[in-house]
Amino acid sequence: MTTDPARAGEREAELRRRLDEAEETLRAIRDGEVDALVVRGEDEDEVFALGAQDSYRAFMEAMDIGAAALDAEGRLIYANAALCELLGHSARELQQHGIFGVLADPAGSIVRDLIREAAAHRRSRQMALPCRSGQVHVEVTAAPLSLGFGEGVALTFTDVTERIEAAAALESDRIGRAIMNSSNEVVVVCDAAGLITHANAGVRQLHDGVAIGQPFDQAFPLDFSLGSGLISGTDLIDVALAGTSVRGVGATLTLDGRMRDVLLSAGPLRRSGETIGGCIVTIADVTEQRATEKRQALLMAELTHRVKNTLTLVMSIANRTISGAKDLPDFRTAFARRIEALAATHALLLEGGMGRLTLAELIAAELAPYVSVGSERVRLSDVDVRVTPDTAVALGLILHELVTNAVKYGALSNDQGTITISTAAAGQATEIVWREDGGPTVVPPEKMGFGQTVIARGLGQSAAQPTQVSFRPEGLECRMFVPTDQISAQ
Amino acid sequence: MTEAATPLKLTLYVAGQTPKSVAAIRNLERMCAEHMPGRYEVEVIDLRQHPQLAREHNIVAIPTLVRSLPVPVQKIIGDLSDQEKVLVHLKVED
Repeated sequence: MTTDPARAGEREAELRRRLDEAEETLRAIRDGEVDALVVRGEDEDEVFALGAQDSYRAFMEAMDIGAAALDAEGRLIYANAALCELLGHSARELQQHGIFGVLADPAGSIVRDLIREAAAHRRSRQMALPCRSGQVHVEVTAAPLSLGFGEGVALTFTDVTERIEAAAALESDRIGRAIMNSSNEVVVVCDAAGLITHANAGVRQLHDGVAIGQPFDQAFPLDFSLGSGLISGTDLIDVALAGTSVRGVGATLTLDGRMRDVLLSAGPLRRSGETIGGCIVTIADVTEQRATEKRQALLMAELTHRVKNTLTLVMSIANRTISGAKDLPDFRTAFARRIEALAATHALLLEGGMGRLTLAELIAAELAPYVSVGSERVRLSDVDVRVTPDTAVALGLILHELVTNAVKYGALSNDQGTITISTAAAGQATEIVWREDGGPTVVPPEKMGFGQTVIARGLGQSAAQPTQVSFRPEGLECRMFVPTDQISAQ
Repeated sequence: MTEAATPLKLTLYVAGQTPKSVAAIRNLERMCAEHMPGRYEVEVIDLRQHPQLAREHNIVAIPTLVRSLPVPVQKIIGDLSDQEKVLVHLKVED
């Protein structure tokens, strides 16, 4: 084998040049004159930075987001300090047990699934992690990661507990306000000093002014019933702030000169950590309910009384009819007519609740069983006025008692007595006067019977002024005052 | 020392914004302006963007400056902070 000396020299020079270049490259790397290398890959070349690992590591350690790098088999390569703290394990423990050794299911399964799904693309999911103080909500993100020796996964754990709790608090607040506003009752929230901080729309039923910012007892001046054990609104607030709930406490509320019956409930408002930050008070206006209850009680007593009276009246009608009857058939006719008239009065009164009656109709219905309205014994003046259904029932009751009294003891208990009924304007009211004359001499009763109670109080709160009853010796006089808006001319 | 008659054709290989890549670009700009005004042609190649271009000049370490003209090809590895050494490599040998 022969060698061309010239070609051999060129080849040697080329080899020497390449050797020099290689040595220069090694020297430059050794002396730190380069900070990146090109590594030839199977498909394409890759550039790797040198000496920057430490700064990246320092950056990762400084992050407050938990971060970890796993190899393709899920083995932990690196976990930063934030992740160690989040998982409650030291870096050494994490290296020893691996991330799946410390992540109990279901968290471990969720992360495994996420890594599987993230083989091609970044994937995120929220989950709860147990921790020393309960649990934290984290958003876990998995993304493919190119490692020097192959493919791996980058995991980040972002603590979103505050965000979730803030969202939950916002939602709770929204629900709370919706509940408050949907309540028909008045609902107010007071702070620890007893100042009103929240009030629902219902408060406008009671309060024209601004309740928020005022002390509770100033915004709602309350008088408690003796049995409640409370003296003022401040007492109620103090009880609730001390941690006790109270329900259905009755009181009267006087606002803008108007008195109302109210039922109160109050309870502590517990904040996180079970501290009491204020209290919630609900106020239900039961004025109408109480008035209805009182009216019902009166009607029940009236019914009992009226049944007794009706039996007495039937006896009285029977006795009077017998004394004037020629024979039994005459008695039967007269007695039947009077009993029918009595029944008609009841029917009319019942219908009176449905439509408007006139005062004249009421009087006629009540007197019919005993005396004819057209007779000289009954004198009417300005009684053709219509009355509202409520007032008609009330007046019907009163007239019934007056007629019954008159039949039993007064102007209708003999054959000479007369009754005069008249109306007259009296300021904002219409005065109705019932006056008896010519009956037996009147002696004031020693005690007030039920009939008198009905007469005196029958108009109840709808009276413009209290009803006045005078026991004049020549005959009883009753003066009733009905508000003008309850009564109108024909 | 002979003045090169033909313009210098230079290619600087860098890797993005690594400290030595940035330093090499600045050092080369200064030397060209001060010592070779109008007699050079420079191309800067970022191998992070175009790693495949490393093969043309068989680049291993970054930064590397390649003088492809005049031949023979010369390589200077490093951030070009040793100005005297760089000038010697670029001009003296031909």
